[in-house]
Amino acid sequence: MSYKVIVVGGGLIGSSTAYYLAKFGAEVTLVDAKDIASGTSGACDRAIMLQSKKPGPTLDLAIQSASVYETLEEELEADLEYNKAGGMIVIETEEELKAMEEMVERQQKAGIGVRLISGEEARERQPALSKNIIASTWWDQDAECNPLHVSFAYANAARRLGAELKLRSPVTGFLREKDRIVGVQLNNEKVYADAVVLAMGVWTPLLLEQLDIELPITPRRGQILVTEQLDKVMHGNVLSAAYIANKLRRNQGKQAEDPYGIGLAIGQTHSGQLLIGGSRQFAGYETDTDPEVTRKIAEVAVRAFPMLANVRIIRTFTGLRPYTPDGMPVLGPVPGMEGIFVAAGHEGDGIALAPISGKVMANVACGEDPGIDIRPFSMDRFQEPVTPKGK
Amino acid sequence: MSDVIICRCEGVCLNQITEAIDQGASSVPGIKKRVRVGMGYCQGRVCQPVVRQILESELKEDSKTKPPLQRAQSPVRPVLLGDILKE
Repeated sequence: MSYKVIVVGGGLIGSSTAYYLAKFGAEVTLVDAKDIASGTSGACDRAIMLQSKKPGPTLDLAIQSASVYETLEEELEADLEYNKAGGMIVIETEEELKAMEEMVERQQKAGIGVRLISGEEARERQPALSKNIIASTWWDQDAECNPLHVSFAYANAARRLGAELKLRSPVTGFLREKDRIVGVQLNNEKVYADAVVLAMGVWTPLLLEQLDIELPITPRRGQILVTEQLDKVMHGNVLSAAYIANKLRRNQGKQAEDPYGIGLAIGQTHSGQLLIGGSRQFAGYETDTDPEVTRKIAEVAVRAFPMLANVRIIRTFTGLRPYTPDGMPVLGPVPGMEGIFVAAGHEGDGIALAPISGKVMANVACGEDPGIDIRPFSMDRFQEPVTPKGK
Repeated sequence: MSDVIICRCEGVCLNQITEAIDQGASSVPGIKKRVRVGMGYCQGRVCQPVVRQILESELKEDSKTKPPLQRAQSPVRPVLLGDILKE
């Protein structure tokens, strides 16, 4: 009899996990309360950038993930809008330059070929860039894709390999035998399995509460503006140094110092629309867009790309990024329980890390060696006593 | 009939919408995410009622529950970034 696994959550991480499990020959059921890519994975941008990753285990993971992306369109037999167009982080002030010099040095040590370029060279690569940009990073290996396509392609490929998709099927509880999870309760149905993988992003802690297990993943709201379709104006993805600073900042509980967390992240879709982000705010599970945030994003966007003042936005949307206290995802078993695993907490790195997270989790859930050290991503890292900070 | 254009902004035909529903889309946002219906200039103001009708007729089994609509996402109409900054 084959090994049965339930994957809960049809976003990038869950769809990817379901695909690799099906590829390994497991009997997979992918369930989602709503639909594939109906949460965070359907409300994000499109960058697969390595130079935005925190040097350390997350970056090492992202490097492996990036190599999977290179052949993923063939493997999944789908157009993912994958494009290795390069990426830059633009710098406006001497202070930012100093911080980015350090970051670039650490990235180079980790094997990333990113380098600092002058403002002039940045404008040669990105002609629409403002004269106020004093320098930039540049790496030609950064890439982009369409996260919706990736989610659907993984889910469809999993289905072709025999996985069953149960959409509009919220998990209402766990089926438990002592300290072992043996399945999940859906609305009108019990589904049994040898392993359950929770890949529900910001919603993962809500389900784990039922087992009295605490998982420190917090929704961090990010807003993105969508423009009308334009001819090609953006060459690869562009972030600002302020975006990186906000992304790496662990400021939960100190939001008053910077209520919006504005930093520029901009990319152009295949249809020609620009996606312009973004913000980082702790606002619970609230997904309303905020006109004040729109204005602040417009401000940084026009400052970096003056021509954008003459471009129309046609919609705004928000997504809830799964924030963790140390900025690293959670990949691995749930401590103290058998048969249950978590793959969540990727914040803004879910697109870049989806392929490798799925591969790792497929191995881990089947009791196989994932081939990389996943201890830095273990859930029990949060159970160690926290050193009190500052005040 | 199947090649009738339903969403003119993005050039999406009827058969693409029914395919999306076959694939598991059960809401207007679900169809939108699969085939770009309503992602264009008018933001679904023109096609959403038609898309919803198609959805309701395809998802006969649970006609009691209306499929979720795409909620309006600001701005209400296209606006220049430069004008947002003037406010």
